[in-house]
Amino acid sequence: MKYIVMECHPSYAVLLDEEGRFVKAANLHYETGQTVCEPVLMREEPVKQRNRLRWARSGFAAVAACFLLLIGLNYYRSTLTAYSSIYLTINPEVQMDLNRKGAVIRLEGINEDGAALLEDYEYKGKDRLTVADDLIERAIDMGFLAEGGQVSFSIDAPDEALVQKYGEELQTEVLKHLENRYTITVEVVNHQTGETESSQKTQGAQEAQDLPEPSDTQNTQEAITVPVVPEGGSDYGDTDYGPDSDGATDYSDTDYGPGSDGATDYSDTDYGPGSDGATDYSDTDYGPGSDGDTAYTPPAQSGNASSYDDGSSSYSSSDYDSDEDSESGSDYEEDDDDDEDDDD
Amino acid sequence: MQDEHELIQQVYAAKEDMEAADRLIGSYMPFIKSETAKFLKRPPMEGHDDELSIAMIAFHEAVRGYSRSRGAFLKYAAMIMKSRLIDYRRKEQRHGNVISLDAPAGEDDAPLSDTIADETDHNEAYVVREATRAEIEELTRQMREFGVSLSDVADNCPKQQRTLEACRKALWHAKEHPELLDELLKTRRLPIARLSEGSGTERKTLERHRKYMVALLLIYTNGYEIIRGHLTQVMKGVAV
Repeated sequence: MKYIVMECHPSYAVLLDEEGRFVKAANLHYETGQTVCEPVLMREEPVKQRNRLRWARSGFAAVAACFLLLIGLNYYRSTLTAYSSIYLTINPEVQMDLNRKGAVIRLEGINEDGAALLEDYEYKGKDRLTVADDLIERAIDMGFLAEGGQVSFSIDAPDEALVQKYGEELQTEVLKHLENRYTITVEVVNHQTGETESSQKTQGAQEAQDLPEPSDTQNTQEAITVPVVPEGGSDYGDTDYGPDSDGATDYSDTDYGPGSDGATDYSDTDYGPGSDGATDYSDTDYGPGSDGDTAYTPPAQSGNASSYDDGSSSYSSSDYDSDEDSESGSDYEEDDDDDEDDDD
Repeated sequence: MQDEHELIQQVYAAKEDMEAADRLIGSYMPFIKSETAKFLKRPPMEGHDDELSIAMIAFHEAVRGYSRSRGAFLKYAAMIMKSRLIDYRRKEQRHGNVISLDAPAGEDDAPLSDTIADETDHNEAYVVREATRAEIEELTRQMREFGVSLSDVADNCPKQQRTLEACRKALWHAKEHPELLDELLKTRRLPIARLSEGSGTERKTLERHRKYMVALLLIYTNGYEIIRGHLTQVMKGVAV
């Protein structure tokens, strides 16, 4: 490719190539009008990387926007759009729109009384049950609902289970709310089929007093609970424990307890109150039968003064004097043990 | 620090203005020379070493490509200059096994170039070059009437082949309808609407490359035989 030098500057030259491009190049001592072959062209600034970065950035933004839109749509669908409706009919008729989560998003009076009932009523942030209670309360206050009246909930939901759930919930709540105050029939109707799901009456103030308390029957029912007794008679039948023990156990003869006869198979001991003072150990240094010619003092069991006071104890003569430094401690320990045995 | 800040401002001003860039290079010539000297391992001679020219065009590139996020300007410029000089040396190495024409030939001290029969007529070449220079000067003068300089045109020149061809299409259309060229000369305005309509080139493309189109159309108005002869590739498609 040949280039014509069009313009010369100290630091660069403008060249024209055969395809009609004007380019800048290093001015390798060119003169205007000269034809050159291998110029050192000026390179364009690197814009590629910045473009890629911008693409990545805008792509990320687009993805983020999509996510936001999805989340927003989801939120809108679950909380802001009406999913089910409850029509409350006393005489005033009121439509309650619920979202997917069951919260009240809109209240509307269907007839004039309904509009009057809803006047100045703030439902925002309130649960559907609270709203139902409040509306019934208002209806009573405003004279729409009186003793012997009827409240009807017509539930319109795309899901049969939801109709059931809302119906039971509302009925229980309203019955509880009006309990012992008014006699009012609460009716639940499936709005789509028109079927009456259930109809219950609350007990008015007088009726509630006349009727026996239902809680009593519940209690008696609960009292029938019987502890399980295994059949076939086990060996565990006879114990000396518990209130019905007979005092006679299979352990026929013991020296323990109130039924002890004082005579055991351990016929002859030197221990306890039944000791006769004569043992098979004919000659010991323990007990009252000691002859006193052992190194040990008589034990304390016989009621003597403790051996420590005995002037004839060997402690003074043997241990404490002679080999006090090495073995006295251990000897003392052993002696002490023996004494305790005797005490029993 | 203040000095650095001023330099960065100058660099940003020079990005758009080729003359300011030229002035900036003038004032930073010692820096460019020292960087070139580091590369050559000897002081460069002005007007003799191509390396200095390469370093200067690299400085231009640095001015264009610089942004504050790239750090200190002078270090950036030094890096660009060094890499361009390395590129240049590698390119020149391909001709490394060629003997210089100035090398002494044979026993006598006459340079090699004298022994080769010179087929080109120096006089004729000189005449052609002078004629070309005259044409270019005339073109530059005429372009100045349109407020366009050759440096502007070089900046404004289409980079993509596709855009270049689109501009060329507009030029062919103008050539087939000389009244458009006349109008250009008379009104000193580019008839963009009619060019776009006639050639099928996007109006936006023509507007964006207005200066380039002005230069191209002026070359094809009158005179400028030599330049037109040089642009052999431009008119290739016309005959088809």
